[in-house]
Amino acid sequence: MLISVLLIPLLGAFAVLACRSPRLATRVALTIGALEMLAIGNVVWQVNRSGVLTAGRYLRADSLTSFFLINIGLIFGLVLTYSVGYLRHIPEGRFSSPRWFYGLVFLFLFTMVSVYLSANLGLLWIFVEATTLASALLVGYYNTEGAVEAGWKYLIVCTVGIAFALFGTITLYLAAVRAGVNPVDALDWSTLMSAAPALAGMRDLVKLAFVFVIVGYGTKIGFVPMHSWLPDAHAEAPSPISALLSAVLLNCAMYALMRFDAITCRAIGSGFSHTLLLIFGAVSIAVAALLMIVQHDLKRLLAYSSIEHMGIVAVGVGIGGPLGLYGALLHTFNHSIAKTLLFFSAGNVREHFGTLRMDRIRGMARFLPWTTGGMLVGGLAIVGMPPFGLFISEFLILTAAFTQGKYWVAAITLAGLSVVFGALLHHVQKMLSGERTQPPGETATWLPGAPKVLLTDIGPMAACGAALLVLGIRIPVSFVELLRRAMAVLS
Amino acid sequence: MGLVHFAAEKTLASSAVLLFITVLMMAAARRISTCIMLFAAQCAIITAQILAMAYVHRSPEAYAIAGFMLVIKVLTIPYALSWIVEKLKAPRDVTASTTPAQSVFIVSALILLSFFAIGPYMQVLRVDEDVLAAAITLVLTGAFLMVSRTKALMQVIGLLVLENGIFLAALVTTFGMPLIIEIGVLFDLLMGVFLMGLFVFRIRDTFDHLDVSKLRKLRG
Repeated sequence: MLISVLLIPLLGAFAVLACRSPRLATRVALTIGALEMLAIGNVVWQVNRSGVLTAGRYLRADSLTSFFLINIGLIFGLVLTYSVGYLRHIPEGRFSSPRWFYGLVFLFLFTMVSVYLSANLGLLWIFVEATTLASALLVGYYNTEGAVEAGWKYLIVCTVGIAFALFGTITLYLAAVRAGVNPVDALDWSTLMSAAPALAGMRDLVKLAFVFVIVGYGTKIGFVPMHSWLPDAHAEAPSPISALLSAVLLNCAMYALMRFDAITCRAIGSGFSHTLLLIFGAVSIAVAALLMIVQHDLKRLLAYSSIEHMGIVAVGVGIGGPLGLYGALLHTFNHSIAKTLLFFSAGNVREHFGTLRMDRIRGMARFLPWTTGGMLVGGLAIVGMPPFGLFISEFLILTAAFTQGKYWVAAITLAGLSVVFGALLHHVQKMLSGERTQPPGETATWLPGAPKVLLTDIGPMAACGAALLVLGIRIPVSFVELLRRAMAVLS
Repeated sequence: MGLVHFAAEKTLASSAVLLFITVLMMAAARRISTCIMLFAAQCAIITAQILAMAYVHRSPEAYAIAGFMLVIKVLTIPYALSWIVEKLKAPRDVTASTTPAQSVFIVSALILLSFFAIGPYMQVLRVDEDVLAAAITLVLTGAFLMVSRTKALMQVIGLLVLENGIFLAALVTTFGMPLIIEIGVLFDLLMGVFLMGLFVFRIRDTFDHLDVSKLRKLRG
């Protein structure tokens, strides 16, 4: 059953690539996407019933996996739907036809689902690296100067960063083997988790491993100062891909880090790894918040906001305890939905105004009422206003920080959140109002005054907004139950 | 039989020195093709080391890893890189920000640093000090090549050297990870080089040069 979740996108990628006509490619892609969501739903349901699913030595799904699978399934479905309308505007090129787009997207999905299903930390590394490879061409999809530069930077920075995570993985393996774990199983997550207390004698090696892992996977998560690839890649990629990068890929790397953190905590206590997480988290929040003030490009602004939110998640995990971890997991989910909504809105803005420079975008409210709604809801949600989901998760994390007496982290987080609040609303508010001015020589893809909005643009955005409201007002009981089980996996 | 065993032990003992020589020559190299050849030589040394280890420890898995290493890193990747250099028809010098003499000096310093860095762990690890230091040197040299060489292809080579170092560190400390993981890592590397090659062509087509230090449109 786990195999089918992996085979559908992998074979689907090749099936889409074989479709010559764009219409056919789109239809095939949507069908495969629906199949994949059914398969994911099935796995989630089975895990809910029987606890842990395994397939062979290398594939495994527990409640934590299933929580993140829901995230990936949901966002992927929305992205696929949104892409149908978005791709109309991309001119045909050698590698920029819909079949290449969907083909690469399915490969990307395959690598990310594989990350979640890996039972083995070595395999986990292989697939995290594969996510970079699968998405680099998507980042450079437009083939402009900026896109090629961003793609190259993404490829090089993430590959080097991830190489450090491999070093960390090897060091942990070494510690496990020296502590008497059978070398064949010494990278197995469940074996490592049960053998972790025995690793206490290898204190130095475990610490060294975690340092390399947090730097390695931290590059992929976008922790400051390893974040340099992130704003470029998010800004230059097509909007649906930006949404996938921000809402799914960053969580994927965070998931890998959470697994390592759990092992390290069990082996040598939570002091060391949690302090590192708090430092990286707090620095990311502070730096990203300040950089958001000076941004000129809408998608770069959103990218820095992703860095900030990953910082908040890291702080949540670092504070730990049931409340902190619960808040952190909930926050990954909330952030995914809000950021997807915002990137979809940014995509519409780009198609309508032909630019993402915020000083050239004026009078959005009149020309794009639906998109404006999306941008407003997304913007209010992302800065943590009630009644949206992010308010709850940020509140939980801050409560945990105060009850545990971690005042300096709480102070930095709160200060960062206030700066972000000001910066984001300032930028968004200026775009919504005012008279539209189109600089001469620039033509928008849509004729002004006649905005053509498709159901595939509005549908996913409305779904995001509704989900944010539900998560903010009353989280479904079954979802809370799933979160609790996911936390139990980590502790 | 005795002769083969003798050869295997000599290989293990001398490989570290040979690796140090390759990184020093890489620092001094002026042409990209020289660096590619040196990288191939480096991989050949590591392959010989795996073979020697496979023989000494009688491990069939290690023979398989040596085979993959030979095909992917000694033959395929250097061949592909040389093909790219030919195909690009661009100037073939490495364009470093340091002179060869300075580079050799820095790399020598890195070699010393590696010996100091592994010092505290030698008690716990009980492995061959020279080889572990060589592994750390490869990691550091790879990083140094990436920051000091501005050609896109040299960055790829720097990355490969860095990865070689991590591979070697895994080899000496743990006699390699499980076979399937090693194969997966090698496959990732191959795909990575393929993609980076693709991007090198795209950089040339979009910018008309290969100097990565001039790619600075995206900032802040």
